[in-house]
Amino acid sequence: MVMFKKNKLMTGIVVVLVVLGLVFGGIILTRPPIEPEDVAAEPVVEEPVVEDPAEEPVEEEITLHFVGWEASPLETESVQKGLDSFMTQNPNITVEYMPVPHAEYETKLITSMAGGAAADVFFVGTELYRSLHLKGQLLDITEYFEAELELDYFIPSAASIMVINDRIYGVSSCTVSPILFYNRDIFDKAGLPYPPKNPDEAWTWNEFLEVAKQLTIVEGGETKQFGAFGFENPAWPYMKIAMFLSNEGDVFNEDFTETTMNTPEVKEVLQAVFDLRQKYGASPEALVLEHLGMSPSHMLQTGRVAMLIDGSWALQELAQMDFPVGIGVLPKFERAVTHGQAHLHSAWIDTPNPYEAWRLISFLSSEEYQLDLIRSGLWMPNRTALYTEEGIARWFNPDVHPEGFMDVIPFIRDAVAYPFAFNVRPATMDIIAEELGAFFNGGKPLDETLTDIESRVNEELAREQ
Amino acid sequence: MRRINFNRILYSDTTWAFILLLPNFLGFMIFLMVPMVVSFGMSFVSWDLFGPVRWVGLGNYIELFFEDQVFRRVFWNTLYFTAVTVPISIVLSLLLALAMDQKIIGIRFFRVAYFMPVISSMIAVAIVWQWIYNPEFGLLNYILGLIGIEGQSWLSDVFLAMPAIIVVAIWQGLGFNMLLFLAGLQGISEIYYEAAEVDGAGWFQKFWNITIPLLAPTTFFILVMAVIGALQAFDAVYLMTAGGPARATSVLAHYLFQNAFQYFRMGYASAIAYVLFFLVLSFTLIQLRRQRAWFL
Repeated sequence: MVMFKKNKLMTGIVVVLVVLGLVFGGIILTRPPIEPEDVAAEPVVEEPVVEDPAEEPVEEEITLHFVGWEASPLETESVQKGLDSFMTQNPNITVEYMPVPHAEYETKLITSMAGGAAADVFFVGTELYRSLHLKGQLLDITEYFEAELELDYFIPSAASIMVINDRIYGVSSCTVSPILFYNRDIFDKAGLPYPPKNPDEAWTWNEFLEVAKQLTIVEGGETKQFGAFGFENPAWPYMKIAMFLSNEGDVFNEDFTETTMNTPEVKEVLQAVFDLRQKYGASPEALVLEHLGMSPSHMLQTGRVAMLIDGSWALQELAQMDFPVGIGVLPKFERAVTHGQAHLHSAWIDTPNPYEAWRLISFLSSEEYQLDLIRSGLWMPNRTALYTEEGIARWFNPDVHPEGFMDVIPFIRDAVAYPFAFNVRPATMDIIAEELGAFFNGGKPLDETLTDIESRVNEELAREQ
Repeated sequence: MRRINFNRILYSDTTWAFILLLPNFLGFMIFLMVPMVVSFGMSFVSWDLFGPVRWVGLGNYIELFFEDQVFRRVFWNTLYFTAVTVPISIVLSLLLALAMDQKIIGIRFFRVAYFMPVISSMIAVAIVWQWIYNPEFGLLNYILGLIGIEGQSWLSDVFLAMPAIIVVAIWQGLGFNMLLFLAGLQGISEIYYEAAEVDGAGWFQKFWNITIPLLAPTTFFILVMAVIGALQAFDAVYLMTAGGPARATSVLAHYLFQNAFQYFRMGYASAIAYVLFFLVLSFTLIQLRRQRAWFL
């Protein structure tokens, strides 16, 4: 018995020793080779400093961590291509890019900040920008910015989103806006004129509705072709907000302390969108399609819908599909208008390398980086210089930008800044989505919906953080 | 002077038991026990991960129960989901297990087929079911159309979305419960059935008087696990409807997630977690109490 126990003990000791031996032996064995490498690496680091003493900061080998989400494979590809070029221009900086799925992006970014391990530079969605600033997580880059750029270089919507209390914490990447796309074949077949491109000639809502009704084809009780799609999705008021603005309505008041959704202007828009599907049957059911991850572009391509209201970014996908895409301005209530925004590039407050982080942000806002993505149709430029005749010539791509696109350009340039960019309470979006869901899909009366939105959103905005 | 007998300590089984249990114990402490205690403390504060931690006492709980109408909605949704999912799931999986207990050709194929959803990734399941439910091109509405029933917007109708999610949850959990029942069924000795047959018992009498009582331990286990699982439901909701439309499918775990990782109200989310914890605890205790009744 004692022998047995001793054997067990011996076995235990041997196992522990072997494990310890492997662990520490491994460390001891692997450690020395690192040092010669380090030593060997040092002269390489110092070389550029010796070669270029005029360079302002001392150039050490630096690794910047950069995170973003993947809006499309093309975007990730362009980011990587851009970063390669940046690294060639800044040989002392290595950028490690990590795309994160969009749905998890905010959660991952914020928890990494709370954990003290955030990336140096990152994408910030406009809806998150101001709340991250309030949490004290964004590096103030005003000085760097003013040394190289001017706010006037940016179109008004992009500029106004960037500035928080006269300071800058992120540089706008581009701009995107809700816009109207259509399938030219369907209009040709129906013998109807194309939707207007010039904002001055924009359809009124009723004109838009009439065309949508005419383009809705019902056969044997089943709708084969819908007139229009895109406004309704209750989970995302993005497209409808453009219509609120068009009707002189808005989501928030001027200082973003209260909602202004409970107004006749907003009500009229919501009722019109509701009627488009539920009264006239001119639009397919929205929510499920969005959830499917099925691109609305496919509905336009396959002729299931004649007109599609979508973000301007959809042009990239549409241009690659084999059908004649048309583009036009949104219908209007009082004035022809859309809203604009796009993610910003910011640096983390605790980045050990603020100067290099700025170098990267500056590069990401440069034409060199933007132009490819603009030419592809995914982005629209946020620089005023790219809206002049010569400027447009530098990115206009006849393979992508459809006939008449030139007339639509001012509509996007003059977009109003997206109201949610100035909101710091993400829960307000969910409240609005929930209430609109009850209205669009649950039979809740509109007046009651708007009263509830007003009281609940205001309560959330007034809540002590 | 007493000397410490090192040999005795070294050779003691207890010492080795402690040493060998230590890794697991440390893991449990670091990843479960400490966070549980901390989150209980956090349920009494207001904290957004970055700003100062503010003591609010019972404020979070008061807001939950008396001010937050979303919480009330979500709470009832959770009970609704549980109350419908659990009984249907248990009855169906028992019936399925009875069918799978037969000696028929290809039975292994059917057993595997019914178990497949359990091992399928929820993401894949969600995508497939979203297609099935699609109002325009979905399989379900197509089949309904063939027999002359008008199709529905399954996932976007405020009243239909929850039942639609429940169907998916039941379908996905069926195989697992079936497997447990099958094991239970095969553990029942043939002797009882033979004796009952000698006494002239029919199919239903055997089922009711032998199968059901002897399966009681299995049924009880499945019931407890199913209730716990249903109260914590999250993935089907998150993936298929994100709690919508109009919060019709939002459940406690989903609202907890939103508060913690979308609104960054850590204290509030912790309070929801503890409401969920006590809900699960009380259901489990009630069931344990009733356990005696089960086995009598």
